[in-house]
Amino acid sequence: MQKIAIRVDDLTVAYNYKPVLWDIDLEVPESVLMAIVGPNGAGKSTLIKSILGIIEPIAGSVSIYGKPYDKQRKLVAYVPQKGSVDWDFPTTALDVVMMGTYGRLGWIKRPRSKEKKASLEALEKVGMLPFKGRQISKLSGGQQQRVFLARALVQNASIYFMDEPFQGVDATTEIAIINILKELRKAGKTVIVVHHDLQTVPEYFDWVTFLNVKKIATGPVKDIFNDDNLTKTYGINYKVAVNK
Amino acid sequence: MDVQIEIQLIAVIVAIACAIPGVFLVLRKMALISDAISHSILPGIVIGFFITEDLNSPWLILLAALTGVITVVLVEAIQKTGLVKEDTAIGLVFPALFSIGVILIAKNANDVHLDVHAVLLGELAFAPSDRLLIGGVDVGPKSLWVMGIILMITIGLLLTFFKELKVSTFDVGLSAALGFSPVVLHYGLMTISSVTVVGAFEAVGAVLVVALMIAPAATAYLLTSDLKKMLVLSVIFGVTSAIGGYWIAHLLDASIAGSMTTVLGIVFMMVYLFAPNKGLIAVLYRQKQQRTEVSLLTFLLHLNNHEEETERHVKHLNEHINWQQVRSKTVLDLAQKNNLIAINDQIVSLTQKGKEFTELALEYIITNKDENIEHMKDDFFLFRG
Repeated sequence: MQKIAIRVDDLTVAYNYKPVLWDIDLEVPESVLMAIVGPNGAGKSTLIKSILGIIEPIAGSVSIYGKPYDKQRKLVAYVPQKGSVDWDFPTTALDVVMMGTYGRLGWIKRPRSKEKKASLEALEKVGMLPFKGRQISKLSGGQQQRVFLARALVQNASIYFMDEPFQGVDATTEIAIINILKELRKAGKTVIVVHHDLQTVPEYFDWVTFLNVKKIATGPVKDIFNDDNLTKTYGINYKVAVNK
Repeated sequence: MDVQIEIQLIAVIVAIACAIPGVFLVLRKMALISDAISHSILPGIVIGFFITEDLNSPWLILLAALTGVITVVLVEAIQKTGLVKEDTAIGLVFPALFSIGVILIAKNANDVHLDVHAVLLGELAFAPSDRLLIGGVDVGPKSLWVMGIILMITIGLLLTFFKELKVSTFDVGLSAALGFSPVVLHYGLMTISSVTVVGAFEAVGAVLVVALMIAPAATAYLLTSDLKKMLVLSVIFGVTSAIGGYWIAHLLDASIAGSMTTVLGIVFMMVYLFAPNKGLIAVLYRQKQQRTEVSLLTFLLHLNNHEEETERHVKHLNEHINWQQVRSKTVLDLAQKNNLIAINDQIVSLTQKGKEFTELALEYIITNKDENIEHMKDDFFLFRG
């Protein structure tokens, strides 16, 4: 029996009294590569954000390896949506990756040569070392996403949350990213990805959660990634759209 | 100390103290909030003055700064209702608070030495007349001490929390996930901005303090892509404008704060025009170069596609690709300068380098993968995205 990495109990989140997530129960076992799929407005990002304590739920609880998130921060890395930050910010690729080391450092302590070395290694891993000194607005969309991935890698976490890492990236970057994610899973890490492209789910992931305000289904891709769940989640017949 | 030097010293310290939080306000797109704070502290100042009867009292500064933070809280509360947007919320809050201050002054104008004009515009020239006496000994102008202490606190906080301020400004979500509470940092920055505005208003006034916060940061933003350098440049712009403004005011016998702000505006204009990358002239030049380079690429593709000499004759190029004389010459020159073409007997042909260049460029345009064209970015604007 696999260990449970993430446990969500009765989680309900509302914006201005309108429920976005409704009574979510979810268990994610350790060492899976999981896609969260669902239509726009299904609460996919919100689910991640409330697990990470960025959004305050109105009910329910979350635990990471049996403890609340704020006791387990160092076990978790997070890649927000690329569009959520200002890429004109005056900073370089290396500097953005260094931000991934801040969590372990805690308040006040500054990154030193050890953190810099780890950040350079992470940049190397995503193939972005030649761009370390480049201002982030001068990077292409795919390169920016790789920098974000490097920032998560440098956190050296056990669980990785990624919010739409494939949005606006070229095909090469998409393959590079998914290969790194697969490596992470092989190394025993748990990876959770908000994903849009249903076609690639069976190819990329081994675990999937269907979400549409409520949880529709969660489990191994080979067991539950079927027309029935897709139709329940998206409300239309998906038989034709997805060929497995 | 000489009064002239004292005034300049106060101006410089005010400028530095404003420039530092200003950088973060600009990067957080909160420039308007500083405007709101600078006005809505008025009731805080007036009430503080009734209680302490001393414009430089630390209690007055804290009380007025609290009004600044209340402004931010009110703006966010109104915004959160979802009924109005942020700019409308700001427009609702600060005039309301400001007008309370105006009424308070008007009702008590006979008793207190404080008028709206002084609060709005300040008067740096009078700042040295209010002295700080310790045990009967004159240790300098009070406002120099007050702003000096505020500046020390600002620098101390900046050095201590630089990393936290940076990450929460760049990426709120990551900052929250890592445990650096964006709310705490946000209100910390709002508090220090409010304290600075209150400390500075007597010298430069509530309106011009906004210029000292925003203009140096906005100018520095055009010149650098490094947060630390942006901070240093902002301080330099603030200080030079403060001293330059003082001497212009001296020459013209005009308001010191007004002259300082004018210099800030002129410096921004100059940088906006002449900044190497983001400046207007640089951008126009780059666009012109890019147009030429697109033509160059079209021209190279044409050569690549045609073996027959008639298509590659210099004179025919005008008709065939339908270009003006001047443009053809510019493009030919650019291609020759980069050793991309050779001309024999008026017949143009691609060199080996030209062939490789064309292929790489084509591949880049089709696939948008730029690993292979890194070396071309230095010579050509076209590939710099």
